[in-house]
Order: sequence, then structure tokens, then C-alpha cells
Amino acid sequence: MQKLVVVALNSLLAAGLYATMSYGLAVIYGVMRIINLAHAGLMMLAAYATFALNDRFALDPFLSIGIVAPAFFLIGMGLYATLIRWLPRSSAGPSMQSLLLLFGVWLVLQNLAYSIWGGDTQSILTPYTMESIPLLGGRFGVPQILVFLASILSLVGLNLVLRRTFLGKAIRAVTQNRDAAMLSGVNAGQIAAVAFGIGTAFAAMAGSMLSTLYAFTPDFGRSFLLKAFCIIVLGGMESFTGVAVGALVLAFIENFASAYTSIPVSYQDAISFTLLVVVLVAAPGGLPGLWRTFDRRVVAR
Amino acid sequence: MTALLRRHPLLPLGVLFGAFLLLAPTFTGRGTQNDLWNMAFFVVLAAAWNLLGGFAGQVSLGYSAFVGIGAYTTVLLSKAGWSPWLTLPVGAALAVAFSVAVGLPTFRLRGPYFTIATIGVGEAVRVIASGLEFTGGSSGLRMPAGTFDFLANYYAMVGLALATLVLVAWLTQHAFGLALEAIRQDIDGAEALGVHSTQVKLQAHAISSALVALAGGLFATNFQYISPGSVFDFRLSLTIVLMPIIGGMGTLTGPVLGAMLFSILQIKLLASPALRDSYLFIYGGLLIVVMLFEPRGIMGLLERLWTRLARRQVPAVAESPGAG
Repeated sequence: MQKLVVVALNSLLAAGLYATMSYGLAVIYGVMRIINLAHAGLMMLAAYATFALNDRFALDPFLSIGIVAPAFFLIGMGLYATLIRWLPRSSAGPSMQSLLLLFGVWLVLQNLAYSIWGGDTQSILTPYTMESIPLLGGRFGVPQILVFLASILSLVGLNLVLRRTFLGKAIRAVTQNRDAAMLSGVNAGQIAAVAFGIGTAFAAMAGSMLSTLYAFTPDFGRSFLLKAFCIIVLGGMESFTGVAVGALVLAFIENFASAYTSIPVSYQDAISFTLLVVVLVAAPGGLPGLWRTFDRRVVAR
Repeated sequence: MTALLRRHPLLPLGVLFGAFLLLAPTFTGRGTQNDLWNMAFFVVLAAAWNLLGGFAGQVSLGYSAFVGIGAYTTVLLSKAGWSPWLTLPVGAALAVAFSVAVGLPTFRLRGPYFTIATIGVGEAVRVIASGLEFTGGSSGLRMPAGTFDFLANYYAMVGLALATLVLVAWLTQHAFGLALEAIRQDIDGAEALGVHSTQVKLQAHAISSALVALAGGLFATNFQYISPGSVFDFRLSLTIVLMPIIGGMGTLTGPVLGAMLFSILQIKLLASPALRDSYLFIYGGLLIVVMLFEPRGIMGLLERLWTRLARRQVPAVAESPGAG
């Protein structure tokens, strides 16, 4: 019982981070039907930016989010204006062309990090990196808890923007039906640029937070990209609450698998890859799709 | 013969180049032969990947798994006393089995979803291979002494490259090629017309994975040392994908051009440290430029140039009767 509570709390803490890194991917997919493979590169670059701010100006990694996230918002808008805008739009689904273009961007970002910081493993050490707090019979790292709180803050913020502002309503409208949104006077091109900026900013926030928990190299981020993708597939690709549920599900499965089965820790990443393939194949609609099928069957009866 | 030439206007050039590759050891030095070996290796990888990725439009980012399977089969069986040549078909058979095991679930996915799933499969294979005992872990494995014969390996690799091209040309001239093309253009339409899309994709995957595994086996014999970092590397998957994309997906000549470009690029990269550190800039930059300006790659560019030249010549022909 004791162990169960601790593992569940650990999963919850991990889920906050997972949700933050998945929202960026989900917003961009929702508005543009593009799978942003450069997400991993952006997270990596943000981790390095946080590292640089900490190294030069001794800025706390969590405070540096305040600089890194707006900067990456502008970088995202810039990427949209210079590259993404020129891609032919596909109404059916994400095009191979956009996927491969963003893959190219990812490679360029990796090389950028290699040429600035070299290939050595870097990590950020703060006074509280090794600190932990006893809670409900377990010990929880201070960085983990701070990451969770920052994630919740960012997600509440995003939710407020999406629900209460015209911009947020426009983003949701374009996500639900681009043509209908344009007929109602929404400038879909502008919304797409802003959405790409928001997606990039969330990648940056996730990157800054990851830098306080893990060591990183320019190759960093691939497994987190796959996890984020797994989460948005679980969440049904377009639903914003789905992403939060998907993040919880993946975090719980990962933590319980490593706590209660004999799967070695080095294979923990393989869990999300396997889950991704299984979900894509068995339930392409994600959890909402499963729920709808279930609902329909019950109602039909 | 003329019909064949009309269909493949570059055929004589290809035959000449093939003859050059086969005769090269008689008049070139070892360094050039190494470069040519590498080019033939790339041609096999690019042309084999193109069968599924180009003709059928199923872009897989997990092909290094097949190089790895071929390479590890060759090393492990050679260590057990087999002749390296006999290990090649075993590696190919294992790759085919793996391609079916991976293909059965993932081919239910379409377009980018398939691509992402293949990144997942490739990562899982690399993680698991690095953790397994018999792969030698991250320290790798060495071929037994006395298995190295560069000239035989050179002829085998060049022969494999030429055979791959002939096989791809032959397959795509027949109903199978049309089925692949139909799947790329409209998978639902293809199904409606009676193409069993999953079966066709599985077949294309199996053929290309067998060819890649054969190349992987020859790679292991030539380099005498392999590790999960060298054969299951994401960078290798990357190179395999980029060559046909930049050369021109879904064409016979495109992957060959891509392989030539990349082998020259690699020789230049290895020669200069400044370039070696920026290979991802070059790869990523090429990918961005190709996707933005000409998604059909070098072949698309050549085609545009060709039609522009042809257009310039047509009025000249039309005018000549009036002038005369």
C-alpha cells in the first residue's frame, strides 16, 4: 500500500511534465495537421539555452523559463513565416512533405547545438538538485516537484487562453473546422503562426524543465518526442483534455511497469515505443475513440 | 530494344557505369576501390529502401535495423565457424522474418503515422540490441581472422548493387510496380480496384529488407568489426532515407544519383574536420531545400530542366517548314 501511494505520486509528478511537452505538439497538430518532428530539437535547444543562462548569469532554470519561453515563441513564429507557410496545405491529414521538412529542421537544430556547445553531456546543478522532501512515506526530489508545479501553472495558463480569449477561441475553432472558422472571419494563416509559436514555446518550457532533471546532449529529446507523440495519440490527437489523460496514462504505465515488473530500467523507454505502436494499431482514435465505441455499444443496447 | 531504350533513356549510361565498376579493380588503386565499394553499398541501401519508401510511398525511418540484422548474423555465424558467404542468405531470411513481424502491425498505419511508428521500432531495436548479451553490448564484435578478402567483397557488393537495380527495374515494370504506384497515389482507390495493399506492402518490405540485410552482411565482412552504435545507428537510417529523397523518390535513377552524391559527400566529410562537424547542417539543409522547392528531388529538377529545354526546341521545329 505504502509503495502503491509512492509510485502513484511519482507517476502524477511525471505526468505534469509529460503533459507540458505534449501540448506543444498537440496545438500545432490541431491547427495545422502537421506533426512537428522538430519538437525534439526545440526541447533540446531550450535545455541548452537554460544551461547557458544558468552558466553565464547564474539564473535559476525555473526563472529562466520566463526568458526562454517568449524567445522560443518568436523563434516558432519565425520558423512558420520562413518555412512552414510555404508548404502546400493538405486537408486530409499530415503530409509527408511537412514531416520531412521539420525533420530537416531538427537535424539543423542538432548541428547548431553541436557547433555551439559540442557533443559532451551537460547538466545543470542547482542548490536544490539533490534535495528531497519526505511526503506520505516516500521521498520526492525538489526538482521533480518544482517541474510539476511549473507544468500545472503553464497548463492552467494555456487553458485560460484557450477558453477565455478570442485568440484561444479562434485556435479551437480552426482546430475543429478550418473552413468554417475561416467563413466566420478567422484569419487562419495568422492563427497558424501564433499556434506554431505557442507550440514552440511549450516545447521550450518542457526543455527547460527537462534540463533540471536529466543530463543532455545535442541528440537529446528523441525518446521524449516519441513519448509526447504517444500521449497525443492516446488523447485522440485533437482533444485538449485527452492530452492530459494520455499523459497520466503513459506516466502511470511507465512507473508501475518499472516498480512492479522485472523490466529493466534501461528498457523503460521501450515501453512508450511499444505502447505507441500498439495504440496506433489497435485504437487509432486514442482513448476518446475507445470511449465513443464503448458509449455507442452501450447506447445501442 | 528501342522500346527498352525509350523507357529508360539513361540505360546505356547505366550499363557503361556498371561495366566501369566491375572493371575498376584492374586499373584503379585501393583508395578509389574503397570509395566505389562505399558507393555500391549506398546504392543497394537507397534503391532497396526506394522500393517501399519511394514507389509505394511508405517512408520508413527504421531501416538500419535490417543492416544490423544482416551484419550481426554474418559475424555471429562466422564466429561459429561458418563461411561468411553462407551466412548472407541466413541474414536475409531473418531480415525478411523481422520485416513481416514489424510490417504486420505497422502497415495498418498510413503516411506520417507509419513513419513515426518506424522511428519507435528503430529506437526499440537499438535499445534492446545494446542491452543484449550476444551483440557484444556497446563494445561490439569482431569477425574471426582470415575472413577478409577485399576484392571478392568488392565484386559481391557491386554485383549486389547492379542486381538490386535490375530487380527494382523489373519489379516496377510489372503489375507489382503498378500496385505500389497505386498504393502511393490513393490507397483506398487501390483497394477498391482489387490491390491487396497490406500484402503488397509486406512483399515490398520483405524484398527491400532482404537486399539491405545482404548489404549489411557484406558490410560486416568488409569492416571486420561491428557494434550496435555502427549498424543500428539512427544516422544510418537517416542516410538511407535521405539518399532516395534527395535523388528522387519513386524513380529508378534517383536513388543512384542520391547514393553517388552522398558517397562523394561522405568522402569530403571524412577528409575535412570542419565539414565533418557540420554534416547534419548539410543533411538537414538539403532536406529542407528539397521539401520546399522540389519534393521530387534531383530527378524532378532534371525533369523540369528537360521540359524547359524541350519547350525551347519545339517552336524551332515548328518554324522550320515556314522558313524553308
